[in-house]
Amino acid sequence: MTLAIILFALALGCYLIAVLEDWAVHGRLDPLRPAVSALALLGREQVLPRKSDRLFFEVGPVLLLVAGLLAVAVIPLAPGLIVTDLATGALFLNAALAYVLVALIMAGWGPNGAYAMIGGWRFLGQFVAYAMLIVMTITAVAMRAESLSTTEIVTSQAALWNVFYQPIGFVLFVIAAMGLAWLPPIDLPTGGGDLAGGVEAEYTGARLAVLRLARLVIVLALASATATFYLGGWLGPWLPAWAWTAAKTLAVAAAMLFLGRHLPRLREARYLAVSWKLGIPLALANIILVGVIALVVPI
Amino acid sequence: MNGLTGAREGARAGVAGGLRRMVARAMARDLCAFFVPGMDVARARGLDLDAAGLHRADTPRRANVLLVAGPLPPSLLDAACVAWAQMPRPRAILALGAGEIAPLPGPDVAEDLSQSGLAAGLAALRRAVAAGAFAPEVTDFDAPALAVRVEYTCPMHPEVVSDKPGSCPKCGMDLVEREASAGDHGGHAGADETGGGGRRGHEGHGSDNAPAPSRAYTCPMHPEVVSDKPGSCPKCGMDLVEREASTWDHGRHAGAVETGNGDHRAHEGPGGHDTHDTPAPSGVYTCPMHPEVVSEEPGSCPECGMTLVPKDQAGDHAGQVHAKQQGHGGDSGHGGHGSAPEVPGIEPHFMSMVDMTRDLPASPDGLRMEWIEVPFGPFFPGLPGGLGLTFTLDGDSVAAARAESLVPGVLAPGLPAAELADRLAAQGPLAPAALRELACRALEAAAGAAPPPEWGAARAAALERARIASHLNWLAGLARQVGLVTLERRVAALHQRLRQADAADCARVAPALGALGARVRGTPLLRDRLAGIGQIDGRAAAEAGGPVARAAGHAVDARADDPAYAALGFRVIAGKDTGTGGDAWARLVQRLAEIDQSLDLIARAGAIAEAAHSADLLAELPSDGHAMARVETPRGPSTLHLTLQGGTIAEARLTTPFARLAAQIGPMTAQMELAEALTAVASLDLDPWGARP
Repeated sequence: MTLAIILFALALGCYLIAVLEDWAVHGRLDPLRPAVSALALLGREQVLPRKSDRLFFEVGPVLLLVAGLLAVAVIPLAPGLIVTDLATGALFLNAALAYVLVALIMAGWGPNGAYAMIGGWRFLGQFVAYAMLIVMTITAVAMRAESLSTTEIVTSQAALWNVFYQPIGFVLFVIAAMGLAWLPPIDLPTGGGDLAGGVEAEYTGARLAVLRLARLVIVLALASATATFYLGGWLGPWLPAWAWTAAKTLAVAAAMLFLGRHLPRLREARYLAVSWKLGIPLALANIILVGVIALVVPI
Repeated sequence: MNGLTGAREGARAGVAGGLRRMVARAMARDLCAFFVPGMDVARARGLDLDAAGLHRADTPRRANVLLVAGPLPPSLLDAACVAWAQMPRPRAILALGAGEIAPLPGPDVAEDLSQSGLAAGLAALRRAVAAGAFAPEVTDFDAPALAVRVEYTCPMHPEVVSDKPGSCPKCGMDLVEREASAGDHGGHAGADETGGGGRRGHEGHGSDNAPAPSRAYTCPMHPEVVSDKPGSCPKCGMDLVEREASTWDHGRHAGAVETGNGDHRAHEGPGGHDTHDTPAPSGVYTCPMHPEVVSEEPGSCPECGMTLVPKDQAGDHAGQVHAKQQGHGGDSGHGGHGSAPEVPGIEPHFMSMVDMTRDLPASPDGLRMEWIEVPFGPFFPGLPGGLGLTFTLDGDSVAAARAESLVPGVLAPGLPAAELADRLAAQGPLAPAALRELACRALEAAAGAAPPPEWGAARAAALERARIASHLNWLAGLARQVGLVTLERRVAALHQRLRQADAADCARVAPALGALGARVRGTPLLRDRLAGIGQIDGRAAAEAGGPVARAAGHAVDARADDPAYAALGFRVIAGKDTGTGGDAWARLVQRLAEIDQSLDLIARAGAIAEAAHSADLLAELPSDGHAMARVETPRGPSTLHLTLQGGTIAEARLTTPFARLAAQIGPMTAQMELAEALTAVASLDLDPWGARP
């Protein structure tokens, strides 16, 4: 039953995020658009590029989808409404999302196209930039909750949401999450204007549909993780718990999707430099700060 | 409507059942166009895809409509065929004023080249797709440019190449199949857009371009047997195979190890011996990672602390393309690798990166990778349509760049002088007004007639309106390339408002343009994205001309010598006025400043000349003579040399800014990261149309 509810919520969430993304890209709100596009996509021919690495080409999108689904499994929708409440949930999320890198490199390598391949390798560089930030900000969140369990992280924020408790961590996590989900302006592996679709460039038909769906699941996973880690998850007055999680997740997703449309795509070297030279010291400072506060002020 | 008229190649195989009908209707709603020859041309021709409710695709793989706008030269039609072949079915062709489009299949819908034509065409196309996305029988479309020639070669004797299978005349082995490297044209168009065939053209890259090295012959089985002439192996009797002579100097390699610069330097191996044979200039050391660091004496790099190495080993192999070792010749050098650290239990060179990469060209950063040649264009999103740009990529940095126009202009002799202006304008969809003006001035100069002063101002205003439109069109393209989709929409909308505006309309649009300029300058991170990219200064900038030169501080502008502009109080804006240097950001700021200036000039002129006026001006067209005219187009000065004979054009030589700007690409993009190199190219605002072939 729980699984069915979560899957339904997941499907609905993905659809709403697809609507938001379409709105952000085309500047027009059309609630039916993702359904129409998906149907059209499924009816289109699937092209297998010449000399492709068939295994990588087929496995890439599926692995991406699996990674996203695994990440979603440890996010609580409401108390008790979680696929698996692992004691190491926050770490598991991170481990699941590590496969995004593998999947994207496979999807980039598989089709034997230059744009796709460059896109895949670019994501490797991008990974180096965001990976530490994701882990280090989660560390600070877990320190306060004194647990890696995502439900305990939510309940630890009853007095004060983490977004106020550790705002530096929040900003770093959102930026790193946008890098992980290759959302503009950090969409280096698929950059429309400079790689013509990059990793996605050679996928068509149902395979592309899987790739797109996987991307939506990953965006949803990261938006809901942000809501869980920093915005108090299901906590909130008046509305039922699940509604709070849903509202916060969608708000975070909308912010992530719309922000990037007003910013130019980052230069890869600059993104790496800023992440390491500024982001990591800030994340360390955040850990120390949270540690001191946790020891001194009991909230 | 009976479905896609190009059903043979457009529809997808399948009987239209209930579900398929629903899918087909969804497809009809979800039309996504790949635009040929490019969005910049679409905007310049007044097409607004957003307003028509048409999404656009970055690659043909994503599109289900191939939208051909305006007549295309044969080179672009070939490339369009490749795009069409790459599009997944069901797919359709919408031709707007395109005329004959063979070798593409006939268009499913053909309309006029106008926004209403686009809307009508789309409506018809939606009906066609809904009715006939699936057909019981379909045939394949093969782009002629993609046809691959298969040839056969001997695994042991690569010099043996045959058109048909058989056995090797030297050793009797069966020949194996391989793709012949595509001809220059085929390869170009073949890999044109998505890189689907992008790596195909590069097999054999190394051996194709290698300079002829000195040859030696060795036995495939007994590498120790080396002879300087062909023959057979004294040990096993096999034919000796050719390989590059390996005459490297062991002493020198040992020396490199002593400098402490990592073991891999010791293995430069056969590849680099051409330079190894010539002694390095004594006492010149450089950092393997920072080629710009050069020191007279050994020491460590101030940037990264690595030990400096003698210069010829650090990066001078850049640009060399080494012939691949043939047969087993590559392993014959085991003796030369005595300096390799041997780990007990591990076979020397097991999975050694050094062994795998040592024959690859080295780049200045010291990393050896397989270089790939990747085409960008002629339909690349974020670059001008019709521009054929090829980067040789070393990882993701640009090792070499080549740019050419795939849409050169040819003016055949015998054209009546009266048609010159129209013909030139048709040749350059991105700058028709400027070319028209150029033709008029050349004809006037041939006739020895000067236009009346009041006309001069109005014609200058027409040129300035074209300049604003052109700069806006460029800005939309740049916004696309760096991912600023909202800015692109806003700029494109302003471009459409201004394209045909009269002087009063221009005044009304002026505040919106001012706000746009402020918005662009204030876009967060945009300056960071563009500053320092594509730096051109000094003489190179002055030679480039146009906004590129002015952004670098050179006050070069053909308008400065023009009496019509002098009457309007024209003053050249150059980099020092905008306060920036000659990089991509400076060019953006320069063009924004020029937009403001042009609005000002239009306001002073008070009226904008109509295109038709120019023909009336020359009531009496000259019949003979020679003349030259020069106009500052939005991208720099264009000149036209004209020789008239008996009322027709005997010779017309048009020089557009393309060649001068394209010449900057090579030096400007060397060793740049790919995305930055593309931004640098975009910042030049190339117009390949009508360039000299």
